[in-house]
Amino acid sequence: MLAELAPRLDTSSQAFFRFRQVGTQVLVTNFEGHWALLSPQEFERFATGTVEAGSPLYQRLSDNNFLKATFDTRKAADRLWARRAFLAWGPNLHMLVVTLRCNESCLYCHASRAPMDAVQTDMTRETAEKSVDLALQSSSPAVTIEFQGGEPLVNFPVVKHAIEYAKEKNKVAGKQLEFTMVTNLALMDEEKLQFLLGAKVQICTSIDGPQALHDAQRKLPAGSAHASAAHWIRRINDAYTAMGLDPTLYKVEALLTTTKDTLSLWKEVVDTYVALGCRALFLRPVDPFGWAHKTAARVEYPRQEYLDFYRQSVDYMLELNFKGVQILERYAAIFLSKFFGRDPNFLDVRSPAGAGIGALAYNYDGKIFTSDEGRMLNEMGDRAFEIGDVRTSTYKELMSHPTVRAEVLATVLDGQPDCASCTYNPFCGTQSAHNHKLFGSIYGRMRESTVCAVHKGIQDYLFQRLGEGDPKVLDIFQKWTTSRPREHYLQPLPSA
Amino acid sequence: MTRLSFDKSLYQGPCVDEAVKVYGRFATFELTEAPQAWVVAVSAADPAREQKICRELSNYALGLTITQRKAGA
Amino acid sequence: MHHAITTDLSQGTARFTVDPSLYPLDAIYGAAYVFIDRCYVFLEKDAQGQVLVSLSPKAPAADAPTLERWAGEFSNELLSCAWRHQLAAENKTLLEQVTSLALGGAMGPPSLDDLANFDFSGQALEDPLGIAMSWEEKYKKKDKKAEVAPAAAPAAGAPAEPPGEKR
Repeated sequence: MLAELAPRLDTSSQAFFRFRQVGTQVLVTNFEGHWALLSPQEFERFATGTVEAGSPLYQRLSDNNFLKATFDTRKAADRLWARRAFLAWGPNLHMLVVTLRCNESCLYCHASRAPMDAVQTDMTRETAEKSVDLALQSSSPAVTIEFQGGEPLVNFPVVKHAIEYAKEKNKVAGKQLEFTMVTNLALMDEEKLQFLLGAKVQICTSIDGPQALHDAQRKLPAGSAHASAAHWIRRINDAYTAMGLDPTLYKVEALLTTTKDTLSLWKEVVDTYVALGCRALFLRPVDPFGWAHKTAARVEYPRQEYLDFYRQSVDYMLELNFKGVQILERYAAIFLSKFFGRDPNFLDVRSPAGAGIGALAYNYDGKIFTSDEGRMLNEMGDRAFEIGDVRTSTYKELMSHPTVRAEVLATVLDGQPDCASCTYNPFCGTQSAHNHKLFGSIYGRMRESTVCAVHKGIQDYLFQRLGEGDPKVLDIFQKWTTSRPREHYLQPLPSA
Repeated sequence: MTRLSFDKSLYQGPCVDEAVKVYGRFATFELTEAPQAWVVAVSAADPAREQKICRELSNYALGLTITQRKAGA
Repeated sequence: MHHAITTDLSQGTARFTVDPSLYPLDAIYGAAYVFIDRCYVFLEKDAQGQVLVSLSPKAPAADAPTLERWAGEFSNELLSCAWRHQLAAENKTLLEQVTSLALGGAMGPPSLDDLANFDFSGQALEDPLGIAMSWEEKYKKKDKKAEVAPAAAPAAGAPAEPPGEKR
């Protein structure tokens, strides 16, 4: 394309832009994240400076700040700030790994779980308190404390204590405080559930797909891991409805880890989620952490195969949406929100990334890491992302740690080869712990990066679907980006 | 005995000295200076051990040179 | 990078030259540093000033293709480092601003303890325009006795009187 245009290129009329062929069209993006999909003929006129003033193409390019003559600096600044508003605050996500013990054995366990008798991997009450103390010192006005493991229900007394302690301390800290828990649900019972519902803890679980696949990958010593999770998903969703909460908004969140065996079951995976009443699924690829590193021969796959799976899954989900079934894909929702001008602050897909400045992980032993992935690497013997200890570190020391500074610098896409010139620069992000694991440096090399391949592939797919101009697809995509606040999960603050 | 020649334009002298100090107890070292290089003669108990020490020392000197350079030293 | 990679299986080493006019020394160092946990890396210069890289994987390489793959990965990292070096120079202001904003936002405003511990006593800033001086200090009448002794030379760039104002 460019070779033909080269002799006629005229750069006098265009404002800064990057471009990429997507399907039969050419996507152009600019620094602040405006975009336009052009036909080859439209791109030719744009590139050769022959767009007629007053034409529909001129108007479209002008509206999106692609022309020097009509460039709106204020508009660009506003859009840029909207994309990077998160820079004003510190970490809002604080992950407490309350134990490494887990009652399930998952083929790809990223957390390097410990057996059920490894009580030395339980977080103590004191460590939980100190973790909460640090979390509430964040400069972010909103703080989410997320309980993880292993399986956090194994150390439920400390979870309970941490919640009560945080609520008490927050009377002074005054944060918009929320709690979430990532659990396999197999150890749930009515007593725990009533506490969690009363404490307004948002529950997130894993469903890998249909029962046979789920149970083959996530082994429970007695019984079916899938049946157990499905039972409690329904029970909790019924409880939300009984509490008078909007059932379209309040559901147990579920996500899967895509393994090699998942790839051919895209329809069954989506159908499983729909049958469980889930309104969202997150088609996450497998990561190279924890056990997944050792079981790679069984679970890993070329990323093009994942992208084929992704396209088939989302195409099918759109078809279901056309029939009135409400189900969205999280990666798509994240990227589409960014395309439409709102940044959902997903920590792994932003520039700079959220390692350290957006999230902190507090291990059971009190060590603090810049990310959950960094903590996972610690369990694999690599302490590169450890930045402190709840017993001795202050919040300011954590935020000024050289590792935090290095990760911020390494994940600003404008300094990263390939990313700096990539059309998806305004919407994308890189992961320093992932790069470190695969390449030995927190910068990584994007052309060889599986994360980059996934991000590019998903964005290519979404822009292709947008480029088709199908109003039904556009309507569903808009709905997927609608953010409805779930105020029930916000902890009440004492009245003034 | 192995002679390691550290090019002065690529390795900082103090970093080579520091590397020799770190590995000092594992072998015998003799340091001299050539016009373009810091020269370290290494002698150890057996050839395999000598090679390992030379490689570890060289890595150490290189790593230290790089970090010192980054720190503006 | 010169595409002739020589391998020495007895030493488990791959050797290749890098042209420092194409790859700045910082890029060569950057690539080398990424590998020194997994390889022994030795740098030399040949008579033409080219940098000769010797790369010996710590896990012994069984064959020449394996050594060549290591060299290939090094060359990819070298290219990445060279380009990043260029991007850092071109986008320095942007990178510094975003990083400063990110870290500043994460740190948050100074606490009362931070302010209590801050040393305000020292002359921390140069003040050629006298902005930090109080009005009285800046415009006070000169002591007549002090005029007898030679006055000290004003600080470079500091006006003796504010322009346009007369006392």
